[in-house]
Amino acid sequence: MGQRRRAADLNNTSSHGGSGAPAEVLHIASKKHNICMVSDFFYPNMGGVESHIYQLSQCLIEKGHKVVIVTHAYGRRKGVRYLTNGLKVYYLPLQVMYNQSTATTCFHSLPLLRCVFVRECITVVHAHSSFSAMAHDALFHAKTMGLNTVFTDHSLFGFADVSSVLTNKLLTVTLCDTNHIVCVSYTSKENTVLRAALNPEIVSVIPNAVDPTDFTPDPSQRRDDRITIVVISRLVYRKGIDLLGGIIPELCLKHPDLHFLIGGEGPKRIVLEEVREKYQLHDRVRLLGALEHKDVRGVLVQGHIFLNTSLTEAFCMAIVEGASCGLQVCGHSEYVGCGITQLIPGDFPTVRSLCAGVESVIAQQRSGSVPSPMSVHARVRSLYTWRNVAERTEKVYDRVSREEVLPLDRRFRRLRAHCGPVTGSIFALFAVLDFLLLLLLQWLMPDRVMDVAMDATGPHGLWRQELSIKVSATAQAAQPDILLK
Amino acid sequence: MEGEAFTDINGNAISLDCQNHSGSCREFTVSSPKMSIGKVIVYTCCVWLLAYAVFFVTENTAVLSGAILITLVGMMLHIHFVKVDHESLLVIGSLGIQVSSNFASGRETTTFIEMSKIKDIVINEAIYMHQIIYYLCVLLKDPTEPTAVSCVVPLFQSSKPRLNCLVKVYKSCQEILSKC
Amino acid sequence: MLLKIFFPQCCNRADSGLLVGRWLSGYDAAVVLAVIHYPFIPGQVKQYLQQLQAQSGGGLLVLGSWSLPKEGQEGIECFLRDLSTIFPQERWLQINREMGKTGFNCKVIHRDQSKILIHTQWASAGWEEKVIFIHYEQRKVMLSQLHPVEVPDTGTDPPSELRQVRDSTVGGSQPLFFLDRYDDGPLKSTHWQSEGREASIIVELLKQASVPLCLLISWLLSVWTCICNIRIFKLYPLHFLSTKLSTCDQLSYRTEHMRTLIHLSKLFPASLQASVCRKANILVSLLVDVALGMLLISWLYRDEHICMLANALVPVADHVAKELDQLLQWLMGAPAGLKMNRALDQVLGRFFLYHIHLWISYIHLMSPFIEGILWYGGLSAGLGLTFALSLLSDMVALLTFHIYCFYVYGARLYCLMIYGLSSLWRLFRGKKWNVLRQRVDSCSYDLDQLFIGTLLFTILLFLLPTVALYYLVFTLLRLVVVLFQGILRLSVDIVNSFPLFAVGLRVFQPYRLAEGVKFRVLCEEPGTALHLLMEINPLKCSTVVQTYRIPTYSCYPKDSWAALVKKLFIGELIYPWRHKTTKTD
Repeated sequence: MGQRRRAADLNNTSSHGGSGAPAEVLHIASKKHNICMVSDFFYPNMGGVESHIYQLSQCLIEKGHKVVIVTHAYGRRKGVRYLTNGLKVYYLPLQVMYNQSTATTCFHSLPLLRCVFVRECITVVHAHSSFSAMAHDALFHAKTMGLNTVFTDHSLFGFADVSSVLTNKLLTVTLCDTNHIVCVSYTSKENTVLRAALNPEIVSVIPNAVDPTDFTPDPSQRRDDRITIVVISRLVYRKGIDLLGGIIPELCLKHPDLHFLIGGEGPKRIVLEEVREKYQLHDRVRLLGALEHKDVRGVLVQGHIFLNTSLTEAFCMAIVEGASCGLQVCGHSEYVGCGITQLIPGDFPTVRSLCAGVESVIAQQRSGSVPSPMSVHARVRSLYTWRNVAERTEKVYDRVSREEVLPLDRRFRRLRAHCGPVTGSIFALFAVLDFLLLLLLQWLMPDRVMDVAMDATGPHGLWRQELSIKVSATAQAAQPDILLK
Repeated sequence: MEGEAFTDINGNAISLDCQNHSGSCREFTVSSPKMSIGKVIVYTCCVWLLAYAVFFVTENTAVLSGAILITLVGMMLHIHFVKVDHESLLVIGSLGIQVSSNFASGRETTTFIEMSKIKDIVINEAIYMHQIIYYLCVLLKDPTEPTAVSCVVPLFQSSKPRLNCLVKVYKSCQEILSKC
Repeated sequence: MLLKIFFPQCCNRADSGLLVGRWLSGYDAAVVLAVIHYPFIPGQVKQYLQQLQAQSGGGLLVLGSWSLPKEGQEGIECFLRDLSTIFPQERWLQINREMGKTGFNCKVIHRDQSKILIHTQWASAGWEEKVIFIHYEQRKVMLSQLHPVEVPDTGTDPPSELRQVRDSTVGGSQPLFFLDRYDDGPLKSTHWQSEGREASIIVELLKQASVPLCLLISWLLSVWTCICNIRIFKLYPLHFLSTKLSTCDQLSYRTEHMRTLIHLSKLFPASLQASVCRKANILVSLLVDVALGMLLISWLYRDEHICMLANALVPVADHVAKELDQLLQWLMGAPAGLKMNRALDQVLGRFFLYHIHLWISYIHLMSPFIEGILWYGGLSAGLGLTFALSLLSDMVALLTFHIYCFYVYGARLYCLMIYGLSSLWRLFRGKKWNVLRQRVDSCSYDLDQLFIGTLLFTILLFLLPTVALYYLVFTLLRLVVVLFQGILRLSVDIVNSFPLFAVGLRVFQPYRLAEGVKFRVLCEEPGTALHLLMEINPLKCSTVVQTYRIPTYSCYPKDSWAALVKKLFIGELIYPWRHKTTKTD
């Protein structure tokens, strides 16, 4: 029912708004999609998910799709902004609850998200990261509105503790009628399939990539009289900073020529500071504080070994960046056919397993049996490119767009069958409420009174015709001006 | 000279009136619909029924007279401070832009922006309540830094016309601004 | 670029003649200030303008000619053209108005560097594209004061156009307007005429009279400052007291105001109008204050009102004490069914009861003198209502001193317990506060330390409800007193700082305080230039109050509500207002 209503509304829009019509035609003819990326994590927040979304969007725009990004407001950055190539970002004013993740009530984000979906004529909603409440909300609403959905999972999870049990249940519910799921590594796929009880056939693996031109090796920056271990991550619990605090004194005791270079900022910084003071390691452990993205390479090339202690990372971008700079990499995550990393065995990293892993890398480093930085860089360069990622994601979109969205009654049945009678019924009730809210909104503010947004990118985007015009991300107001001239 | 029919972002009908005073001076007036009698009656009845219910319980006649007073004062405040009858934009080439809004009571607030302070007129997007809308705004120059924008003055703030209406006003304004 | 001509409304119907005014630098605009009528001798006009320029600093020029043909004046056209050779200008405006038409016609004659006259005469259809007439009312523009008041800085970018229009009208053009219409001189002109010289004579007389008055006040002020500076007031108890009493505060503010009244005139003349306005504000608020005070006095000293007040005061204090006594008795039992720590409850209750007893005996000791105090205190209303109110506030503070004491005891005790609990809670978690680095460090404690810490923590935790209850009750009492004092303070402040003069100006002469200008399109006829009417856009009332309010202590930032609640929660002492002195340290 939602699907039919939506189609009718779209027709209405095209007859009223004018620019709705080409989008409709394109959808059928040339397989160009109108994609909406939803995640709580986007710039100015820094991290792997953020750069994944940005790079993927840029490559999709290059391929002629229309992409918009929806995230929550960061401080004073709220409203609509434009990034390079007319990539439109909506910073919606939703309340942030914990760790940059918005509070979820399942309903309150519907009006704004509906507004975005309708005015941008979205055909595929692509949500990122299972930590993001907004992504879950968007999937839920998109299905109510009858849109096709894709979800990308960026993290690994346990099954035992309370928080993961809850998150997994939520994941089961939101993913149960998502059309397709993308994971960033095979471990992550296994993990996600188990957690969300999914059919493995609708889960694809598309690894992340790195921008190889930014991260080039420079061995001359290293100091040969010592071994430097570089750690770059946000200093939070999830990134295993407590583990790092555990292994630093142990390793420093064993290897007197070992130095640590730690970039990043966060609430766990105090742990590292205390370790440094307790063991008098001021000259060997350097805390650099928050790093700008452009400075990361300068830090990376100073080290020999890159260490990642993250607890939940499925595909750590920082590791690939480190490898791209020619460092030996040591971490818990899994890298397919790469051979550049030292894997830490076991399901969950511990101080002992991490120590053993780092020891073996140090031994390799000392014996000189490591590949040269240039060769590592060359391999990373050939393996991980964003164009490749975008091509594979595009195939996912093509497949998804051919599928139909479950109508409400079948959605209920699926929820009941998939998530168990209790949870299934509860969320079926939520779905009904969501649908009623949608009907109310459609009555209060019908789709035809919403203006269809000026198209900046995409197949018929005005932006592409005026590529020579300088684009600045900050001068938000300049954009419509250009559009209309 | 004649008013053209458009709708605002909530789907209510508004009319845009373009007046060409000369080649370099144009006035745009967006008028909202008048306050409907039905709405006034509904609100008044609500207040009075409530007051009557309270009166029925307390048997105090002051409640009734209070209700009458409240409706009267509320209506007066509404037409004096809230209800905007029409908003107009007067663009005078090489002199400046004048923005004025007339309230239903006849009160008028006017702001004049000199041409030397104006950087441009643009259409922008914003999140307003639970929707995302287009609006027309004047960008003001930063006196210290000529390329930067110091301030954004939104136009037609209370009538909020839709994009097609804004585009019409925008094109017309740009014609005048580009001339001088 | 369009040519803008600012044309005064009073010259609309002037006889034909020469236009005098100036060109605005940076903008393509001319401001017409006056019309000099026929007949004149060009040499005299030149001489007159030179005189004016010497007086006012330049810029005044003959802009062009103005013609309003009447019956019997024919063939003036070619004469006007010839005038441009007599007054050589780069651009020569030739404005004429035909009878029966509202619009003006304008010709602009450009004169090239090579001294060849190029007559540019537009076809009538083309005129409207090139010239805009902006009519303005000279009187209002002259008297208006543009806001926000800018300090004239030298250089950077040119000032805005409207400011220039106003400055060119006011600044340096006054001498031009001295030429009266009814004077018998060689030149006749039309421009704004100031209204009647009689009024200005009165103003001059007042100015003369104010000089000795100012001298007298300044002498009195210097004597007063001398008294204030005597060392005895700097000694500890007196100085401390004077910072706490609101009457002393009020006295110092009034002194400050007086000083401003006398000294402000020596400031630079650019902000003269603003400073005059500020002075007038102070003067008016002073007068209103004294008038209200007189009203109060006339009420107080009639019908023995003071006696009645004094007689009512002691029973009220007694009543309050009795109520407090009952409250304490209630707290010492099981208040609201709460089971308190009995021993601590009794100790605290007895302590406070003893205090009330002390207080009551003090009040009874004071009772014979209260009437006298009130009688003399009432006289202070002669200095103004604000003084009476501040005195009342001080008296309330003194009479409720016991409540303040209770509050302080309760707060200190509570604060101590909260601090103890918070540091012991850190001990529980194996943390401690690092004083050197201002952060919480982890720390490993001995078993003994943990044992003692746990013991103390338990004791404090179980005693907390009893202390918290006393604290809560006395804080509420204190808040009531503070609220009353705050209201008094607020009303004093409003009288002190309300810019009555500026608001009056805004109501009766709205154009005096200008926020900017607004334009109205005058009815246009096809084929003539665009005519606009420039009106003064008066300042909003709220902005007037904001700009001209007299600075007092309430302008300093106060605690936010959140900070206040936090202070209450952790038991820090709160005061009704923040003093100026506490802000600095």
